[in-house]
Amino acid sequence: MNLAEKYKDEIADILSRYPVRRSALIPLLYLAQQENGFITEGAMIEIAGMLKLTPPQVYETATFYTMLNLKKVGKFHIQICKSLMCALVGSDTVIGWMKTKLGIGPGETTADGLFTLTAVECLAACGTGPMMQINDDYYERLTEEKVDRILADLRTTGTSSMKSGPFMWPDRAGARV
Amino acid sequence: MANTTTETVRLTIDGIPVTVPKGTLVIEAARRVGVMVPHFCYHPKLKPDANCRMCLVEVEKMPKLQTSCSTVATEGMAVRTATTVVNDAHKSVLEFILANHPLDCPVCDQGGRCDLQDFSHQYTATSSRFTETKRIFQKEYFSPLIETQMNRCVQCLRCVRYCDEVMDVKALAPSGRGTMTEIKSFAAHPLDCEFCGGCVQICPVGAITSRLSMYEYRPWMLKRADTICHYCGDGCQITVQTKDNDLIEVMSAHGSGRNNGDLCARGFFGFHAASHPERLTRPLIRRDGTLVEATWEEALERTAEQIAQVKNAHGPRAFGGLISGRLTNEELYLFQKFMRLAIGTNNLDSSARYGQLNAVQAMRRVQGTHRWTIAFEDISQADVLLLIGTNITETNPITGLNVKEAVKKHHATLSTIDSMQPAIGTISNIANLSHQHVCVAPEQFGTAVLALLKAVVEGRHVDQNLSRQAPDYVSTISRAVEQLSWQDLTADTGASREQFVEMAESLSKGRRVVILAGQELLRSAGGYHASLNLLDLLLLLGKLTTPGCGFAPLAEENNDQGAVEMGAVAEFLPGACDLSDQEARTRIAQAWKGPLPSEAGVTLMDMIDQAKVGQLKGMVVVGENPVGSLPAHLGVKEAFQKLDFLVCQELFLTETAALAHVVLPAASALEKAGTFTNSEGHVQAVRPAIEPIGESRPDWEILSALSVLLGAELDYADAKDLLKEIRGIIPGYGLLGPAPVPPKVDQQTLTRYITEGFHQDLAGRYTLPPRSERQTGTIRLGLVQSLFHSGKFSTRSKGLVQLEAGGTLRLNPIDAAKLGVTDGDRVRLFNGRGEFTTTVKLVERVPQGSAWFPDHFAQDVTRLFDVAIDRDTKVPSFRRASVSIAKIS
Amino acid sequence: MAAQKYELILLKNMSQPGYTGSLADYEQTGGYQALRKILGKVPPAEVTATVMKSGLRGRGGAGFPTGVKWGFLPKDYQGTRYLCCNADESEPGTFKDRQLMERDPHQLLEGIVLAGYAIGAESTYIYIRGEMVLGSRILEQALAEARKAGYVGKNILGTGVHVDIWVHRGAGAYICGEETALLESLEGKRGLPRVKPPFPATHGLYDKPTVVNNVETLANLPHIINRGPEWFASIGSPPKSTGTRIFCVSGHVKRPGNYEVPMGVTFRELIYDQAGGMRGEKPLKAFIPGGASAPFLTPEHLDVKLDFESVAAAGSMLGSGGVTIMEEGTSMVWAALRLMEFFYHESCGKCSPCREGSSWLVQTMRRIVAKQGRAQDLETLSDLCKNIAGRTVCAFGDAEVAPIMSTLKHWRQEYVALIHEAEAANLIKSIPVGARH
Ligand SMILES: Cc1cc2nc3c(=O)[nH]c(=O)nc-3n(C[C@H](O)[C@H](O)[C@H](O)COP(=O)(O)O)c2cc1C
Ligand code: SF4
Ligand code: FES
Repeated sequence: MNLAEKYKDEIADILSRYPVRRSALIPLLYLAQQENGFITEGAMIEIAGMLKLTPPQVYETATFYTMLNLKKVGKFHIQICKSLMCALVGSDTVIGWMKTKLGIGPGETTADGLFTLTAVECLAACGTGPMMQINDDYYERLTEEKVDRILADLRTTGTSSMKSGPFMWPDRAGARV
Repeated sequence: MANTTTETVRLTIDGIPVTVPKGTLVIEAARRVGVMVPHFCYHPKLKPDANCRMCLVEVEKMPKLQTSCSTVATEGMAVRTATTVVNDAHKSVLEFILANHPLDCPVCDQGGRCDLQDFSHQYTATSSRFTETKRIFQKEYFSPLIETQMNRCVQCLRCVRYCDEVMDVKALAPSGRGTMTEIKSFAAHPLDCEFCGGCVQICPVGAITSRLSMYEYRPWMLKRADTICHYCGDGCQITVQTKDNDLIEVMSAHGSGRNNGDLCARGFFGFHAASHPERLTRPLIRRDGTLVEATWEEALERTAEQIAQVKNAHGPRAFGGLISGRLTNEELYLFQKFMRLAIGTNNLDSSARYGQLNAVQAMRRVQGTHRWTIAFEDISQADVLLLIGTNITETNPITGLNVKEAVKKHHATLSTIDSMQPAIGTISNIANLSHQHVCVAPEQFGTAVLALLKAVVEGRHVDQNLSRQAPDYVSTISRAVEQLSWQDLTADTGASREQFVEMAESLSKGRRVVILAGQELLRSAGGYHASLNLLDLLLLLGKLTTPGCGFAPLAEENNDQGAVEMGAVAEFLPGACDLSDQEARTRIAQAWKGPLPSEAGVTLMDMIDQAKVGQLKGMVVVGENPVGSLPAHLGVKEAFQKLDFLVCQELFLTETAALAHVVLPAASALEKAGTFTNSEGHVQAVRPAIEPIGESRPDWEILSALSVLLGAELDYADAKDLLKEIRGIIPGYGLLGPAPVPPKVDQQTLTRYITEGFHQDLAGRYTLPPRSERQTGTIRLGLVQSLFHSGKFSTRSKGLVQLEAGGTLRLNPIDAAKLGVTDGDRVRLFNGRGEFTTTVKLVERVPQGSAWFPDHFAQDVTRLFDVAIDRDTKVPSFRRASVSIAKIS
Repeated sequence: MAAQKYELILLKNMSQPGYTGSLADYEQTGGYQALRKILGKVPPAEVTATVMKSGLRGRGGAGFPTGVKWGFLPKDYQGTRYLCCNADESEPGTFKDRQLMERDPHQLLEGIVLAGYAIGAESTYIYIRGEMVLGSRILEQALAEARKAGYVGKNILGTGVHVDIWVHRGAGAYICGEETALLESLEGKRGLPRVKPPFPATHGLYDKPTVVNNVETLANLPHIINRGPEWFASIGSPPKSTGTRIFCVSGHVKRPGNYEVPMGVTFRELIYDQAGGMRGEKPLKAFIPGGASAPFLTPEHLDVKLDFESVAAAGSMLGSGGVTIMEEGTSMVWAALRLMEFFYHESCGKCSPCREGSSWLVQTMRRIVAKQGRAQDLETLSDLCKNIAGRTVCAFGDAEVAPIMSTLKHWRQEYVALIHEAEAANLIKSIPVGARH
């Protein structure tokens, strides 16, 4: 089914936010990505039509941004920050654990299609490193035990209570990160 | 047009003072004093992007080096382009750019004309300090005609920016980011676009090159000839490069010609037609019913003999002549002189008859000119443009660029009345840039003009002066449009009253209003009336005589305009003078040293009729193929078969030539000298790029040789000799230099028109054409011009054939879905006249209820078409049919 | 030693136990009072004047005076204007905007409405970094509340003032924090910085006059309005660096995190008092004072004050407020490489020096760290850095060379040592096999 039918209301809402149609491009690409975890050529062509762009115009934008996947990724996309700040507090070790636990290296997907591992640049959680993002959620102050639990949670329930809530650090108000 | 009031600023470049118009970029100011600042991403046609950082210069009082390509010159600025600091900066940027470059110059087609090579040479870069691994792109297939070598790309984005800013095609995508930015089309899809070759031309390095000439040459080995493209009325200047009489490539340097270096697919990739293996290389004569090769002597003698025989037996009026509007002015001129003087008849016609004459006759009648009163510059400078009946991108792509420039760069208001929908496709669609677009069926273009006139009158946009000067004219037209009901107008056009009101308003507000009319209008029934009414529109708005405003009909064939001006039609003598114009007759007869035939001649359609009944006995056909182009039910073939004698001068053995008694091989436009006149009236030099193929000879030489045998001695040393005679005969023609001033509206003619001339047919042209109720289940079939072809000649070009090899039926996806067909399916078209099978191609531009078929492959489909002949101009139109479509399973 | 307590301004609400960031909570602490005080009552030009008077400077990186920036908008222009809130926070070492948005979204929204009112922007966009999905959801929720309560949208609180806010998520590109790249991205294009001039003030979003302001900058506005510009101007190190700043402390400290302190406290105080000092026994070796783009500083600079001028005088910049601490034993070449990897990954590719230079630099640095350096590498590195800085369309070019240039300046011997090791290894390799022990 095409996006226009399936997400009629969302699309209308997105389009209503901008006086110039092309601005809706990234939001619509996100919408398309929601479908299969990546953006298909068909979706790009459909979006081009909606926005009165040519498919190459959609493609050039889609390939510029790291969060837009043009290829299939695992059900859980694990992105571990490897920038200096996290590296100072042990992100390389986390990547190491992940490699052994999942049996894949950065850029790879597990055979069951569940996990894709990527080493990424800074995700604005430098004070709570090492950290990673899995799909929409952040996981911070990672320890080996925490990583184990997160992976187990994901495997069983598809989500994990270890994910971060609204961010605050140091947490004077007492909320949990 | 130089505007003398432009403000200027003064600055110095390396100490040299220079005065430039305000807004000039420093890099351009430098160029003016002969200083070339090295650059890659800058191009005068494009908005500055300043991405290559090569053009850095020192500007006094600025702390950092500035990019001269994006810095505007200001009063008192002091610029240094060659200090040590600047040189070091240039060297360092070059070092960066070369870092990832493969340095594969020995196998690069750009070698010898590469900016990167040239600048590296200039800055004597020592051996590179870069010893790391170079970036390598996986080679992906790019397109059948265009090769990419992305490892050589310097990421200046000139190609991408050109494709967007100038062409409005947007087919190129810079994908990825950083060093891995790669120019692609869409994902792994091959490039699908207009194939204008602009990216090949504008790439400063060898990253995008033409596959047609890949690895065939080194630039310095090539011989160059500057000439004019022979594909459409835009008349682009091309540089044809050859090696040993082989056509290697075509380009057009920035700044050259009326096209300013821009080309379309036909111009850039279409040059191989001339060297097609089926070119006729020797004369043919009919022996025992078949055409066999002969010597020139034999063929010419046989022709002369037969002509003499027919003439003796039946008189000169038993002869007819037909010539293509693709030939040079010299040839068109000599042809009509041959027909009138050597044979003695006015029975002659050219392909201008197919539509151009509708516009020319209207202009002559209202404004007393047979050409535009504006130039291309007036299109790009216009603030309001109306395009009617022209899929301009496909028929006249370079004029289309002027329109795009007006809209995109200068924010002109564009109104379009056309038979296409504003859909995005791989070919740019002018309707997408339109502010007011009305999609109307071609047979209702005239109705749309009437609606517009009504909106002008009702909106009180009529020029006050005109109302005072010509109250009768104004009130008659006002009354005529008042009698038309909006209900009928909107029902017939399918557009709303508001749309016309809005268009009328912007037209009336415009200071520089240009109306462009295309062949879709001019070649349809009613094209003459619609042209007249468009001139009425300009008149009523008070714009007809205003500088910068005017009516611009677009010629489909490269020299249709020349054909009219050379008198290669029955009704005109050279200079587009009436046959009955006594002054002209005397002047010409004196120059020709012989009498002109005085009896009116017949035009193409009458010739055919006369041949059918055995009244016309002989024909001279030069470069035209009526048997192939006109609908079969007109019986052209049967008529021609009845002729006692038919001689054809041709490049290929066309359907018409196949019936001839003698076929004389002619040289193509790339093999001869002469001039072409483009649709705006520029007379431009055609120069030979290669020697004539085989034994072929330029058409004028053939006609000249024949005339000698016929005792008329139209003897000329070369094409220049002919041009000299033309200049002597046509008043004012001698002044037509490289930048002629367009003629002004002739006041006398105009006065005559608005006082009495308009009356004669006003009632007729201010009534609605019969409503064409489309029967349910039928589709309106139209013949259209494709971007990738021009006439049938281009279908012999190997480059263009790769882009479009045959005719497909362009159908709206919704209609296609209703019929249960999709891309590539076979369908049968049929109506009372016959049937035709073809393949379907879905094109969103095509409105629902319509289907388009490209003219270039239309041979068999024309049999389905209706024919109408304009009573006044004798223009036949056969571009529309109502058909049913069925899927073939 | 207990850290000195400063009055919190931006982090005040969220530091209250139980504060959820909901509209009710925000209103309870006096939220949206500034808006009531100003909209329709104080002419926009006066709001701008107030902000100018407060001395507020941009918190996004460049530290440009906010009121002055607003003043650049064309005065007599009647058409549409835009405000974009820069919430792209991607500078390594920076994580304050995330907290401001996730914990007290209404503070930001109120700031945006005030700024929108002041500059006459009826449509405003929060360009939030794509990865911050939670933040964008919280903002959307807060927006829904605020719209419903009449604080955002058409005819705010019946004053006839329209300021609407839309959340727009980026999609992963550091460069989109640069304001013109942000605008390109918001227009649906590739995030490539634009050539300036023209500046966004005249030709910004959709070519219309536009202001781009950072989250923290805008969050300050309600407080400036409520408590007056004089109050604000008295905080920090007036006259040039007024107000507080949220410093994001990361790296080898005991208590990494966000600390809001008046500008002008010393690094020593921030690191040793607020953030609890070094995490292990090792002494401090180096720190970055203002995000990845800021040159590294040394222990000698610990008493430099955290204000724009002082940090600049010390040879670095206050930038985005990201302070990263490195302990003794950290390899400076490795640290510079890590940041270089980041810049290489994020170079948009527009300008040749930055595009080609970043790949050249990163490859050279990788070799040096892998002990395959060559004697001439150091000269090449510093040449390349010099040839990139100041030669690009945006400030990314200056930023990417900061780590290498500053570490080369302060810790050159570490580079030399690595290259020596490489040379020694090569020397051994060049001895014929038979001759080795
Ligand atoms: C490469 C680069 C990245 C930037 N990233 C950010 C960013 O993530 N967030 C931000 O607020 N400003 C960032 N800036 C600064 C913005 O360009 C701009 O100066 C700022 O948003 C203006 O807001 P302010 O005046 O409130 O500081 C960046 C600048 C550059 C050159
Ligand atoms: S292909 Fe050529 S024109 Fe296009 S970006 Fe690369 S170097 Fe420039
Ligand atoms: S020519 Fe000026 S930056 Fe490229």
